[in-house]
Amino acid sequence: MRSNVVFKGSKNGLQLIIDDSADFESVIEQLRLKLESASAFFASGNALVHVPAAKHRLTSEQQKELITLFNNYGLTWQEDIDNASPAVDSSPENQAEEAEADQTLIFNRTVRNGQEVVHRGTVIVMGDVNPGAKVIAGGDIIIHGTCRGIAHAGALGNISATITADRLIASQIRIAHLISRAPDNLDIPECIETARIKDGVVIIEPAQ
Amino acid sequence: MGEVIVVTSGKGGVGKTTTTANIGTGFALQGKKVVLVDADIGLRNLDVVMGLENRIVYDLIDVTEGNCRLKQALIRDKRYETLYLLPAAQTRDKNAVSPDQMKELCEDLSKDFDYVIIDCPAGIEQGFKNAIAGADRAIVVTTPEVSAVRDADRIIGLLESEGKHNPKLIVNRIRPKMVKKGDMMDIDDIIEILAVDLLGIIPEDEYIVISTNRGEPAVVNPVSTASSAYKNIVRRLTGENVPLMTLETNDGFFDKLKKIFGL
Repeated sequence: MRSNVVFKGSKNGLQLIIDDSADFESVIEQLRLKLESASAFFASGNALVHVPAAKHRLTSEQQKELITLFNNYGLTWQEDIDNASPAVDSSPENQAEEAEADQTLIFNRTVRNGQEVVHRGTVIVMGDVNPGAKVIAGGDIIIHGTCRGIAHAGALGNISATITADRLIASQIRIAHLISRAPDNLDIPECIETARIKDGVVIIEPAQ
Repeated sequence: MGEVIVVTSGKGGVGKTTTTANIGTGFALQGKKVVLVDADIGLRNLDVVMGLENRIVYDLIDVTEGNCRLKQALIRDKRYETLYLLPAAQTRDKNAVSPDQMKELCEDLSKDFDYVIIDCPAGIEQGFKNAIAGADRAIVVTTPEVSAVRDADRIIGLLESEGKHNPKLIVNRIRPKMVKKGDMMDIDDIIEILAVDLLGIIPEDEYIVISTNRGEPAVVNPVSTASSAYKNIVRRLTGENVPLMTLETNDGFFDKLKKIFGL
């Protein structure tokens, strides 16, 4: 089935591109499925979604329906940033999305309390992930330092994603839809460790 | 051009105002021309700690709104000729001034002074953004408590995102005895998380309470332990290489401090 709805990342948040030729009912249905499959990715809330030129292309009822749907999945509707409708490029958006998922993001600093690194592909952090910080990746997460914050690998549903850190003492480890928290008395590990899903639970083992 | 330094922390009550007052007075003791700027609009304290409350006529907001000239709002310290205070307004709030106005103010002040030291309010909102806007460098104050260190980490992140890299850290209210027993975070634990340069450590000192209530910065007192620590910090800020206090000895508390200060 051809996808009539595509999410694109932009510097102002997410953009939802809707195929004008598709009927609105099927658009809503596809959108619901898409959001359901990626609910963990959006769970952090407050992500802004913007539908280019929504005023011209959708009726107010349709807009309301979209807003309710977004709210259910922790997304926030954003009005048109400016009146000039942003150019909707004709190139297949799916390709751009997949290209980002293939790329690896290298973050060259410590991720500090309150900071969030979000990327569709693999994330490598050259530094620590401090308490209160979050790293969310569509692929794997590799931390060359101490991880004390929250790491979420495979956030788009990839259950074979892994999290590796020189010292893995994360307050929470999330892989795909699974969330596990650190025990209240966690010993500091002495070797590089990897977290992965095995038999439906998150396990941590020395890295190979 | 003088240097603009902001003293910040995120968490309240860790000693930003005390640190501002003592570092400023420390510079003045060295004969440097210093102005302290209270950016905590609506909750001003620096004037009280400096003992200059009753001399306030104009304040920072009067300057930015053009009700007076900058020179009119500056209060000269009662003890040191080269030390000045620009007090905050008490009847307004943080939105009464913008980061751009603060930037301009800092530029104007740095023309006349060797050091401009800004006392930042607690929090990460408008007041914080105003306070750091015009700063060349930042000093982050924390205490050896997990919550204060978390907030310091947040602040360092925000400073970096505003282009203020490599802030310096002051760890305030250290109790050597508790650290030795393992009941208090030690400096290494804090540095490991925050990963910034340590500017100095200040031991817990009852004299700070006395000096704050008297309106006379502790750094003036020659026997206070915190005073010596602040003096060291001031020397480090002027580029001198002063070794850090070490807290690992088996001596009694006073012997240890004597050793630390080389007495």
